[in-house]
Amino acid sequence: MIHSLYDPLLLSIAVPLAVAVAIAFGLPKRWSVRLAYVGFAAPALLALCVWTRYAGGPQDHGYAFLTHYNTGLSGLGITLTLGLNGISLPLFVLASLVGLAAGLYAIQSGAERLKIYLMLLLVMQAGLMGVFASVDIFFFYFFHELALIPTFIMVGVWGGRDRTYAAMKLTIYLTLGAMLSLVGLIALYVKSGATSFDLITLRDYLAAHPLGETVQKNIFGLLMFGFGILVSLWPLHTWAPLGYGAAPSSAAMLHAGVLKKFGLYGLIQIALPLLPAGVGHWSHPLALLAVVGNVLVIGLITMAQRDLKQMIGYSSVMHMGYAFLGVACFSALGAGGVVLLMVAHGLSVALLFLLATSIHHRTHTFDMDEIGGLAQKTPVLAAFFVAATLASIGLPGFANFWGELTIFIALWHFSPLYATLAVIGVVISAIYGLRAVARVFFGPSTEALSQVTVANPPADLRWSEKIPALILLAALLFIGFWPKSLSTPLNATLAAAYPAPAQAAAK
Amino acid sequence: MTPVQLAIVTLLAPLASAAVIALFLRRAGGLASAVSVLAATLIAGAALMLALGNFRFEAAHEWFQLGGLSLSLGIKFDDLAALMLSVVGVVGWCIHVFSLGYMRDDPAHARYFGGLSIFMFSMVGIVLADNLFMLFIFWELVGFSSYLLIGHWHEKQSASDAAKKAFIVNRVGDFGFLLGIVMCYWSNGTVNLTALSSHHVFSMLIPLLLFCGAVGKSAQLPLQIWLPDAMEGPTPVSALIHAATMVAAGIYMLCRINVLMVPDALTVIMWTGTATALYAALCAITQSDIKKVLAYSTLSQLGFMVAAFGLGPTQFIYDNFSDPKIGMLLMQTGVGAAMFHLSTHAFFKALLFLGSGSVIHGCHHEQDIFKMGGLRTKMPLTFWTFTIGVAAIIGFPYLAGFFSKDAILYLAYANNRTVFAVLAFTAILTSLYMVRLWKLTFLGAPRSDHAAHAHEGGFTLTAPLVILAVLSVLGGYTSLYPKVFTGVFSLIPEAEGSAHTVIVLTSLAVMLIGAVGAFALYRPAATDSLAQKSPGLFGALTALKESFDAVYDYYVAKVQQRFAMLLNFLEQIFLSGLIVRGLAGVAGLFGLGARALHVGNLNVYVYWFLGGLTLFWACAAGLL
Repeated sequence: MIHSLYDPLLLSIAVPLAVAVAIAFGLPKRWSVRLAYVGFAAPALLALCVWTRYAGGPQDHGYAFLTHYNTGLSGLGITLTLGLNGISLPLFVLASLVGLAAGLYAIQSGAERLKIYLMLLLVMQAGLMGVFASVDIFFFYFFHELALIPTFIMVGVWGGRDRTYAAMKLTIYLTLGAMLSLVGLIALYVKSGATSFDLITLRDYLAAHPLGETVQKNIFGLLMFGFGILVSLWPLHTWAPLGYGAAPSSAAMLHAGVLKKFGLYGLIQIALPLLPAGVGHWSHPLALLAVVGNVLVIGLITMAQRDLKQMIGYSSVMHMGYAFLGVACFSALGAGGVVLLMVAHGLSVALLFLLATSIHHRTHTFDMDEIGGLAQKTPVLAAFFVAATLASIGLPGFANFWGELTIFIALWHFSPLYATLAVIGVVISAIYGLRAVARVFFGPSTEALSQVTVANPPADLRWSEKIPALILLAALLFIGFWPKSLSTPLNATLAAAYPAPAQAAAK
Repeated sequence: MTPVQLAIVTLLAPLASAAVIALFLRRAGGLASAVSVLAATLIAGAALMLALGNFRFEAAHEWFQLGGLSLSLGIKFDDLAALMLSVVGVVGWCIHVFSLGYMRDDPAHARYFGGLSIFMFSMVGIVLADNLFMLFIFWELVGFSSYLLIGHWHEKQSASDAAKKAFIVNRVGDFGFLLGIVMCYWSNGTVNLTALSSHHVFSMLIPLLLFCGAVGKSAQLPLQIWLPDAMEGPTPVSALIHAATMVAAGIYMLCRINVLMVPDALTVIMWTGTATALYAALCAITQSDIKKVLAYSTLSQLGFMVAAFGLGPTQFIYDNFSDPKIGMLLMQTGVGAAMFHLSTHAFFKALLFLGSGSVIHGCHHEQDIFKMGGLRTKMPLTFWTFTIGVAAIIGFPYLAGFFSKDAILYLAYANNRTVFAVLAFTAILTSLYMVRLWKLTFLGAPRSDHAAHAHEGGFTLTAPLVILAVLSVLGGYTSLYPKVFTGVFSLIPEAEGSAHTVIVLTSLAVMLIGAVGAFALYRPAATDSLAQKSPGLFGALTALKESFDAVYDYYVAKVQQRFAMLLNFLEQIFLSGLIVRGLAGVAGLFGLGARALHVGNLNVYVYWFLGGLTLFWACAAGLL
């Protein structure tokens, strides 16, 4: 039990939570907003600090910043163990940045009952930081639930069209997914015979006493479908476009950007390394569902959308297909690609939801057929949206490119057929992405738009909207130009946890 | 500064220029153009210093490493890259200067020059890249800059559509290109160009997949449809990107990977190029927009280059390896002819496009050649330089196009007589449509007010024309090129003896037939003489041009979009509707009891949430 006064991981969870509690206990509005800035900014600063200190720092069992806290649950094998390895570090940084952007955007949005809205977002933020900082499987799950429940409330109360139905559907689906994966995790714990939920102990124990093949197969199946629902694996995805379409922007940013990655993170960090035999049984069905369902079918459905937010929601489901394909490869390259894609997709989808809401503020509609020629009035907003779209369709220079490229390379080794089908997605996403840009921003102004904007001409992006957008865009470009910033820690961790590549590549 | 550092500066200067413009100079158009032209000057200067100083080097720096995949940012600066970089640098510089005058009154000045700088960055990246992944990255980036610049006047629906079309069609080609690179990586364990040239696995699929990239970027059949539409962009952009450099990147890429070629793949490449050359020349005859004629002419000339590459004879050199599939090394000599024509074409086609830009600028944005005429006296400098450009492209003796086209015709004559016949016929058409264009634009009397009041542009418009005209005259003399490009120019096939006579005579004959035909057929009038004299032929040629677009439009609107709508319908009805709502109904029954707790007050919900959390914790901790 090493306790130091300054633990960046614990602080990044505790600060937003403390601010949330303070707001809940009736802080006046002015102070609530001021403290909320602290609550959102602290994790981001701490995460950036952790990111720069990760390389070269001391490591313990493959984890940096490892600390244990007794929470009174050690009788059940549960301790609050915090630490970061190469897989969780990128996601920890992602959660902090998207959280900051979503928080800043929420503060400027002037939502009704802003205090409670910010409080829920802060709880969500704390949960997200906790998910990726936890080494203990129990707390990994616990923090996920902590972040998930505010989502339901936010969709139900602050949501847009169809919010009641969307909140209901979201709750049912995600609770079901979470319960399935909980059963899987408990089964893993029980069947392993280990006496701790700590991932390090569990890993060492399972390395010495591997599970039987049938057990692995069954547990992996539970985890795959449980986590799969949470990440919108086809055909269990229908909650996603509807939910995101209805969710208020900051909640959509945090959920689509970060919380959704919980499932994939669970597969990469827990299921694949601990259940290698289970993967073998499921990799082909998983890849088939992902490539035909998520990439091709959902890709085409995305093309048919008229509602901008729904389109972004569907495109997010499609990109998760690539992530599942990377999981199915079961190689260090594939898993690494998934982590890169998760980070990149998280940043870009959050940026797209943010900008979509900003478009809505100016046009009062999400229907792309009613908007047109907006770039003439709002060139900066247009430039941001073009950049976000190009990032999400995998243009080099943005982080997403590295995720997609590495997954395609890994996938070809797994199966050239699946790789060929998956690369078709590159064309599909270019079609719907550029079509949306052209419909909303280019061409002459539409009749409908002129009617809306004649009384109230749309102003370009304000600084309060620009700053959160810039945070996300800068991160996308930074990783795009310097992928090593993530791949170096990632590579070290994956090399230890995954089978060696079949063919060492020359430069 | 070492050569490597100089090359890195060449690559990064335009990126820095684009970044500075995007961040700080959005509203300062004049300063933005100065920064961009400065970057272009730096590229041109550095390119010539590196090429002529005979610096040849390779350098690489690891960029990305993951799970066994190692990817480097590297520079391979051999004679091929030196030639291409010089062409890009010089032509790029001319066009930057021309843009200063041409785009002076454009309100979005800064965005335009920022786009040009991004383009130069990406293009230099393609030229310098030492491995296929890096090539692909910059390949995508030139596609992006092309998208930006075609859509420069985005408030026009046609420009917006054209930009989108260009990007998507290129992505279709890149689909194959990317798969080819990935396959190459797994079969050879490397994508480094130098490593591949000494050791690689024999495969037909890899070169053909890689060729898909060239089909998209160099607008070969059947992906040629984006290039004519791309003329929606400002004319200097058409000159730089859609004539001289970017579209030629496909040919450059083929020359880069020529060691991977196999005879069967080359046959496919040869026929694709030949078909494109002929098809585009036929389309060019009926065009009335000055830029569209030049666009189809570009397609046709690109077809010549691709055909030249495919025509090159292959030589097998067996190493001592026991496995014949691995030890085989393949040399392909179409590279010389293709790159030679690429260089001369870059000069005269940039000249022609800038000349057309000068005409359009002088005629207040009139682009219809049937509304021009009489510009010979109004715009004498443009007229004379344009005339040199026309003479060069139709192969007038001792101008640039004469030498490079003869090299291709000879290659065809020596290797495949059918291709030779088709290319010779295409050369007649080239001469026909170019002389038609020239005659209708410059001769006769003005046929519109705009043409009557045309005027020559300023110094920035005319100086690039003169420089490019000089290059179009001298560009064909390989002996004039510094010795430093020997690695490429030594590969140019040269006809000797009777073959030489045949080629020269054919070349002169096709040029004369086309030119005389155009002079006889076309009167400087407001209507197309061919349409009047032979409506059937004119209609057939128009239909030929429109057939591809019709098929693609039908596919996109009637097949793809309807299929997407159908899937969406099924999704809404079955997945979201019946199944999920059915399940939700069951869950709703269970929820009836809990409904009493839902009083609708948010604060109550929040307290329930906190209370539940505490309870859960207490249970788990064993306190209860």
